[in-house]
Amino acid sequence: MNETHMTLIRGLVVEEEVQLTLVELCQACSAEQEHVLAWVFEGVLEPVGESPQDWRFSGDSLRRARLAQRLSRDLEINPPGVALALDLLDEIAALRARLQRVGIGY
Amino acid sequence: MKFKDYYEILGVPRSATQDDVKRAYRKLARKFHPDVSKDPDAEARFKEMGEAYAVLKDPEKRAAYDQMGSQWKTGQDFQPPPGWDAGFEFSGGDFGAGPGGDHSDFFEALFGRHVGGGPRAQRHAQGQDHHAKVLIDLADAYAGAQRGISLRMPVLDAQGRVTMQERALEVNIPKGVRAGQHLRLAGQGGPGVGEGAAGDLYLEIAFKPDPRFRADGRDVYLDLPLAPWEAALGAVVAAPTPEGPVQLTIPPGSAAGRRLRLKGRGIPGSPAGYLYVVLTIALPPADNEAAQEAYRAMAKAFDFDPRTHLKG
Repeated sequence: MNETHMTLIRGLVVEEEVQLTLVELCQACSAEQEHVLAWVFEGVLEPVGESPQDWRFSGDSLRRARLAQRLSRDLEINPPGVALALDLLDEIAALRARLQRVGIGY
Repeated sequence: MKFKDYYEILGVPRSATQDDVKRAYRKLARKFHPDVSKDPDAEARFKEMGEAYAVLKDPEKRAAYDQMGSQWKTGQDFQPPPGWDAGFEFSGGDFGAGPGGDHSDFFEALFGRHVGGGPRAQRHAQGQDHHAKVLIDLADAYAGAQRGISLRMPVLDAQGRVTMQERALEVNIPKGVRAGQHLRLAGQGGPGVGEGAAGDLYLEIAFKPDPRFRADGRDVYLDLPLAPWEAALGAVVAAPTPEGPVQLTIPPGSAAGRRLRLKGRGIPGSPAGYLYVVLTIALPPADNEAAQEAYRAMAKAFDFDPRTHLKG
């Protein structure tokens, strides 16, 4: 069989090696900038930096921002509701992990 | 092509008001949203109800759908009658709920394919970022690896229709990567418009299910069965780890459920995770005379009641 030569693409681990600007984060989760600003205001995302132009979001923000975007788009949840839902989902995930650690379920 | 009864999917009668439709959709969507539900069918159900809602919430589409009549049932073979949509004008635009361009054949036959959003009428714009999930072996996270992956991506053809395109990539899997983390491949997303740069491709990492190991963050779990005498008397047994077998010392008097924690044997990193070996006890079958005799000898040798804690 013919093997096509493919160049190896180096990926960076977002959670460990990447910080995102506001523009990059919006682009990565297809969210409007005003939504991301509202989530920051509600504490869903916690960038470092003085003004939105200087903000840097940790790599973990990508997962949270995408989740926030899906919840607000699909369920039409407003920013305070998104913040509450994410807190509760985090708590459920932590409880499930504890169950798994003691060998029950999931 | 199978008919889809959008009213049945949302659980509302055909006479439902727009408010009823919205309420029913919201309630189901909260229950089956794939980020919220652990139901294995959640994603398919959610997509289906998003499609049903996209039609029923829009008075134009709903009227067009309704005029096909109520004699159709879900799953019946269906072809749209010629000219079925004559006299309806669709405003087009955003279908809202559900991922755009990802509807059933049934939906597309009726309402056509549609691509949402995207930069238009701009001379230069950056390409969209794309996302995909990839399944890797746990061993790849231990050692790092190069893996060929193939992705299916919707692309627009010259007529503006969506077609699926296969794409093969060779990607590095960095050592120490964990489930739920993302790899960013710069410039591998959607093409830019004009002189705009291409978007990025984000790959979300997940582990292939493994019959022996399960991962929780950096920590990895293994269930290790022991014979009763190994658990009681202690033993040195071979145990598999994602990096290869190790010799494990089982302390005497180990009960089922005891966890042995092996430092640095979880997923590598700083700090590396733990490998937890969870002990279970397997009973040998008493399927011949010698084995039965051994069990009888045990019964004689022990003054053992495993149910003391059940007595009042």
